[in-house]
Amino acid sequence: MTRADETARGRSARAPAAAPDAERGSGSNTPDPSRLLSKARRFGRLRFLFGGKEAAESRPPQMTSGKLPAALTRTLRGVELPPMPHATEDGILKARPPRGREGLGFRPRKRRAPSGEPAWLLPFILGAVLLLSVLPLARLAGAGVSGLVDGEAARLVFEAATFAALRNTLLTAAGGMVVSLLFGSLFAFALALTDIRGKLALSFAFMLPMMIPPQVTALAWVEMSGPASPLLKTLGLAPPLGSPQPLYSLSGIALLLGVQHAPLVFLALKAGLAASPRDGIEAARLSGAGPFRVFRDIVVPLSAPGLIAGGAIAFVSGIGNFGIPAILGIPAGIETLPTLIFSRLASFGAATFGEIALISTLIAAISAAGLLVQQRALAGRDYRLIGHSGARAAFSLGRFRIAVEALLLIVLALVLVAPLLALVASSLVPAYGVPLSFNTMSLSAYAEILFRQSITLTALKNSLFLASAAALGLLLVTVPAAYLLTRRKGALANLVAILIEIPYALPGIVLAVAFILTFAAPLPVVGVSLYGTIWIILAAYFSSFLAVSLKPVMSAFAQMDPALEEAARLAGAGFFRRMRDVLLPLIAPAAGASVILVFLIAANELTVSALLWSAGTQTLGVAIFNLDDSGSSDLASALSVLIVLLVIALMAALEFFAKYLPEGVLPWRN
Amino acid sequence: MKTLVSAVAATLLAGLFSTAAYAENLILYTSQPNEDAQATVDAFKAVNPGVEVEWVREGTTKIMAKLMAEIEAGNPVADVLLIADTVTMQRLKEGGHLLPHKSPEAAGYNAALYDADGAYYSTKMITTGIVYNSSAGMKPEGWQDLTKPEAKGLVTMPSPLTSGAALIHAETLAAIPGLGWDYYKALAENGATAAGGNGSVLKAVATGEKAYGMLVDFMAIREKAKGAPVEFVFPVEGVSAVTEPVGILKTAKNVEAARKFVDFLLSEEGQKVAAKMGYIPARNGAALPEGYPARETIKVLPLDAAAAVKNSEADLKTFSGIFGTN
Repeated sequence: MTRADETARGRSARAPAAAPDAERGSGSNTPDPSRLLSKARRFGRLRFLFGGKEAAESRPPQMTSGKLPAALTRTLRGVELPPMPHATEDGILKARPPRGREGLGFRPRKRRAPSGEPAWLLPFILGAVLLLSVLPLARLAGAGVSGLVDGEAARLVFEAATFAALRNTLLTAAGGMVVSLLFGSLFAFALALTDIRGKLALSFAFMLPMMIPPQVTALAWVEMSGPASPLLKTLGLAPPLGSPQPLYSLSGIALLLGVQHAPLVFLALKAGLAASPRDGIEAARLSGAGPFRVFRDIVVPLSAPGLIAGGAIAFVSGIGNFGIPAILGIPAGIETLPTLIFSRLASFGAATFGEIALISTLIAAISAAGLLVQQRALAGRDYRLIGHSGARAAFSLGRFRIAVEALLLIVLALVLVAPLLALVASSLVPAYGVPLSFNTMSLSAYAEILFRQSITLTALKNSLFLASAAALGLLLVTVPAAYLLTRRKGALANLVAILIEIPYALPGIVLAVAFILTFAAPLPVVGVSLYGTIWIILAAYFSSFLAVSLKPVMSAFAQMDPALEEAARLAGAGFFRRMRDVLLPLIAPAAGASVILVFLIAANELTVSALLWSAGTQTLGVAIFNLDDSGSSDLASALSVLIVLLVIALMAALEFFAKYLPEGVLPWRN
Repeated sequence: MKTLVSAVAATLLAGLFSTAAYAENLILYTSQPNEDAQATVDAFKAVNPGVEVEWVREGTTKIMAKLMAEIEAGNPVADVLLIADTVTMQRLKEGGHLLPHKSPEAAGYNAALYDADGAYYSTKMITTGIVYNSSAGMKPEGWQDLTKPEAKGLVTMPSPLTSGAALIHAETLAAIPGLGWDYYKALAENGATAAGGNGSVLKAVATGEKAYGMLVDFMAIREKAKGAPVEFVFPVEGVSAVTEPVGILKTAKNVEAARKFVDFLLSEEGQKVAAKMGYIPARNGAALPEGYPARETIKVLPLDAAAAVKNSEADLKTFSGIFGTN
């Protein structure tokens, strides 16, 4: 559809929205802009607000603006504007008081925060962070201090093994971050900015590695590349007996961490690129800038926050990953801090709590340092774009298009298709080391998993409950928290941000210990202990995935023009009203992405639940790890294959209903 | 630290009576592989309809860490334990955690195979020998063969940090003249690795990542029957053995069902189930499964159980010192 058509359609669609208001304009109930906006939104377009369609014809984009965009005034032409807050008799400018306070018999004489945030917001967020982060960590730190005082733990921590593990952790996490950035930015730039075909399918496929639990990723890669890989054996390409498994190395761990966390970078970047100013790019091209110049001067600066944020998430995730180094590192004698903690826990002794508390403090310090770097890097840049203006195909690749498409497909084939095929193959062989053929193929592993093992159903039920409860429940905390953190600057906000990040940065196993120490005692009011129930896992998930849930919402708030909310506030809309009519519609895509992200990560989580599960509260991650651990990796593979199929089916169902969902909820769609 | 734990434990005790999870279910903690655990439970349920069984599986060392943490917190979940070795059971008994149970089935067993007070009963014989990939260059016959240059970098074994059988195995070999801890040092110098449980050893050898491994008998023999390219030998020096004992916890909430479960495992029916899964049954006169040599030809090395109970922690440290922390 050409732009002229679209504009025409947009106008005609908006006309009915504006007309009734225009007729009632002089009536007693004056329309307020926020109601008008929400009405306009119902008719499907807020775009005209944001220097989109019409504005692009006549103006360069307004990057930030102290006043409402001219387009708004133009749109409201023919509409009598509501009375602006004006000088009252006593000559003081007054905005209408927020609705929440009208019910009170008195008016508290509180100085409102400059951003107009309600008084309860900060205490609420502080309380949540206190409960989910500070309290368990303080408990853990207490255990660490007693460990230091005992001297026993301290002696063990300062062993060469700990320093080796520290070095390995830093190396693998940094390497993983580089790989994630490479893959993630390759896909994000290609899908967001070029005119390659099959974007939806590519994007869909690229999101998949994140849904596969890390230990399964590791298993699949090992199946794929070992001397007895059913896949290679079937193809006749298997290396000779006793060949070292190339993945059992630091670079193997780094590579897999990179593959596992690339979608995080991809998501972080895509959110920013989707909002890059298409008209700005067009203007630059018209002024004669080449594609590289545009890429360098417009795209890269605008995507830098996303790159840094994505890199930071990838690094921090790499520090805390347990599944991959456990499966690839332990056979090769390579310990990282999380696996070191795990093996210390397995040989549970008197000093264990002190030791792991100390080791995790070390990890917390590394993570905090990484996060500070990220904060500093982002602090100096404040790119707020006026709304969305999808940069569809800013670069046409011409004859290179085939090459780029082939590159993306090859990457996907290597990191996704081949390991998954290996996983399927190893779930179909009757025993280890048997080449797969039509004669040897057997479905016995699937029969065992589906019809005999009671753990499967239990684990599936638990994981689905935990993942959905965590994903939806966290939004209640993260939306106000993101609002607060983008509006407030300064030490307190930084501290809150870091406190939110730390539980995610810590290896799950440490968090689990912290939660045992915190919640083993009966709860103060009801007198029931959470220990050994599913609720302690849920509480740990809330703590662990707070950061995951916050990130997308946070970047949505960060890129929003404050003028929008400011306008609504001046017109007298209260906090909840502004949330409902102005903010939520704009962050809905990010919130949707956040829910899906948390759901997928939580459904496949292993490390937190590895320590907190008990009879009847096993999760899918525990079930897979347990099956593999007992030597039944055919069963583990079969269960993993079923999970991957289930996830794909869920995603396909979402895709099918995409047209009924708010735009941008599905992370693989633009 | 101790005060913190005990404070937590005290408060937990107070809240203990408010949580009555799974009151009607029998909770089993076991170190059997999943398939075997499920098959055992299914066979028991067929004989005792109406008893629901929840089971949890981990390596012996890990399941003990879990249980000890629960005991410290004053809320042990398990009713019945079915784990690798009597040494661990003996330690639990000495700690006063086990409930004596006089099983009528004990008559069918050698007196050395169960605790005189009835705190625990052996259910099987699981020996640890050598597994090797069919395409391996050398056919090992004794433990010493694994230190030969032909096996350099090709040997793997389960870690005592995960597997109870592996700990007993190390303690057994360490006490044999001519082997000892020096044998393990020689293995480590030869590039042998120790990681995970028996399952991961089986996998590494069957898939050809490694050529030789120390492994429990039933896994290798069962996998070979399924078509995996592995062979199993009972080394000339002899094999170590664990007996997979079962015991009831003193804190069991469902003692009646727990007693039934123990009696079932020891009964002829229960022993047949074990043999069908490929284990050597412990009961006198029970037939060995396919693929095993005659019972009397298997030479089991002696183990000083009392010393093992005392030295476990030190032995673990020695082992970790030789092979790194895994």
